[in-house]
Amino acid sequence: MIEVSNLTKTYPGVTAVDDLSFKVGKGEIVGFLGPNGAGKSTTMRILTCFIAPTSGSAKLAGFDVLEQSMEVRRRVGYLPESNALYTEMRVEEYLLFRARLRDIAPKERAARVGETLEKVRLTDRRRSIIAHLSKGLRQRVGIADAILHRPEIVILDEPTIGLDPTQVRDVRELIKGLGEAHTVLFSSHILSEVEKICGRVLILSKGRLAASGTPEEIANKLMKTGNVRIEIRGDGRAIKAAIEKVAGVVRTLWSSKGDMNTYIVEPSNGVDLRPALVRACTAGGWDVYELGYERLSLEEAFSILTAPEKGAAS
Amino acid sequence: MKSFLALTRRELGVYFVSPMAYIILTAVLVISGLVFVSTMRAATANQEPVDYRSTLQWIMMVVILTTPLVTMRLIAEERKQGTLEIILTAPISDAAFVLAKFAAAMVLLGYLLILTVGYLVIISRYGPVDAGAAACGYLGLFLVGGVLYSIGLFISSLCSSQITAGVITFCISVMLIMATYALPQVVDTSLIRPFLAYIDLTVNFSDFLKGVVDRTRLVYLVSVISFVLFLTTRVVDSRRWR
Repeated sequence: MIEVSNLTKTYPGVTAVDDLSFKVGKGEIVGFLGPNGAGKSTTMRILTCFIAPTSGSAKLAGFDVLEQSMEVRRRVGYLPESNALYTEMRVEEYLLFRARLRDIAPKERAARVGETLEKVRLTDRRRSIIAHLSKGLRQRVGIADAILHRPEIVILDEPTIGLDPTQVRDVRELIKGLGEAHTVLFSSHILSEVEKICGRVLILSKGRLAASGTPEEIANKLMKTGNVRIEIRGDGRAIKAAIEKVAGVVRTLWSSKGDMNTYIVEPSNGVDLRPALVRACTAGGWDVYELGYERLSLEEAFSILTAPEKGAAS
Repeated sequence: MKSFLALTRRELGVYFVSPMAYIILTAVLVISGLVFVSTMRAATANQEPVDYRSTLQWIMMVVILTTPLVTMRLIAEERKQGTLEIILTAPISDAAFVLAKFAAAMVLLGYLLILTVGYLVIISRYGPVDAGAAACGYLGLFLVGGVLYSIGLFISSLCSSQITAGVITFCISVMLIMATYALPQVVDTSLIRPFLAYIDLTVNFSDFLKGVVDRTRLVYLVSVISFVLFLTTRVVDSRRWR
């Protein structure tokens, strides 16, 4: 549905998006993740035909953003980061205006607006002037605008920014609901957010794709070389000595509660220590209670992926 | 076309829902009314007939004053508030967007000019008013206003601050009105005199006042409007290649 290849956007002195390529399939909800300034908004602006890429190409629903811009715009619903609205208008009036711009047939307009208002639960506020609405409600107006013309693709730039936790949950539910009928690409820098809604995450760092996959995949990939956490009952000191003898162990951290010991074992690169550790424990006659990779949250994966390279000039 | 109409309608909505249009129209009527009364008084004191042409000339001055007020927000405001992004990611061509802005401003200008017809009606009770020549004068006012408003729109597309756009527009408008009169006072303009007479809007307008629709003037004014609107479209479009 969305096909981005070698997309690059440079501003004088800055490369906002650097050789970015990814694909989003039909009906997917994909989260676009990255610290501020990673190029999320720039990419989204290119996809929605607001700005043009310096090089590379992007196709949405089979249409090129440069060559067939109007076709793309017809098929895309967009909520910009600023969520700028004509605040002097009333909610319903604004959506009717947008429906006219979107070329929705006059007979259908009222029904479509009513139905969309229902979907974003704004029906009771349809006569309110947008300027008088709270931020969360305005965000819903923006989302209503993005889905009004039943686009194949919905692009939401930071839809939950600046909302309180209840509103965030509301918007999250709304986006989840969208996934049934639309392909959704949305950006956020709140990870828990993305973890809850998205089937797939694209992590962007300095304009480049740092990782892509399900939240678990990304965490797993990072944990491949990660530390092993093991819980063993017995004489802590003796066990530590035994673990340190296992080939490939670089460092062992030990903590204990009574005779239950927890070790975090750091392996040399790429070595899976788990079988060797179990063998060592069995040989020593100690019972293993728990064994696994130290669980990395998406949050931690994210900070590892997007951290500035060590030693690199900043 | 549909989107053009929708945009024009919204633009007019902004003028007439907010107090802006009413403030501008009221100001225009107050100022032109004061000028009208004083010219009437002066004429009767000198026992001369009131010339409707001087009234139309005054109305043109008032149109210049309205130019920055009407045009400064048109695009600058959308740029500043970010609404440009939601409009230009909808399936609307840049040209339709610019033309809708211009059309709305011209509707306001038309409204403003219609309100001033009352002065001519009053004059016609005391002296002769050539209806044809007066209509011609109004056509001139509309076209000169069109040139000024299109320039205002162009400046607004370049700025993200309304005030900056307004001030620049005002300066350019005044210069275009005073080109043949003021410049020769400061510098030697003998070489560019024909050129100045060509671009000076007062000179252009005076032909219309005589009741003559000179084809060169007509072509000049219409092509300036078209060219400036084209430039504006290019500026709006420039976000895609900058």
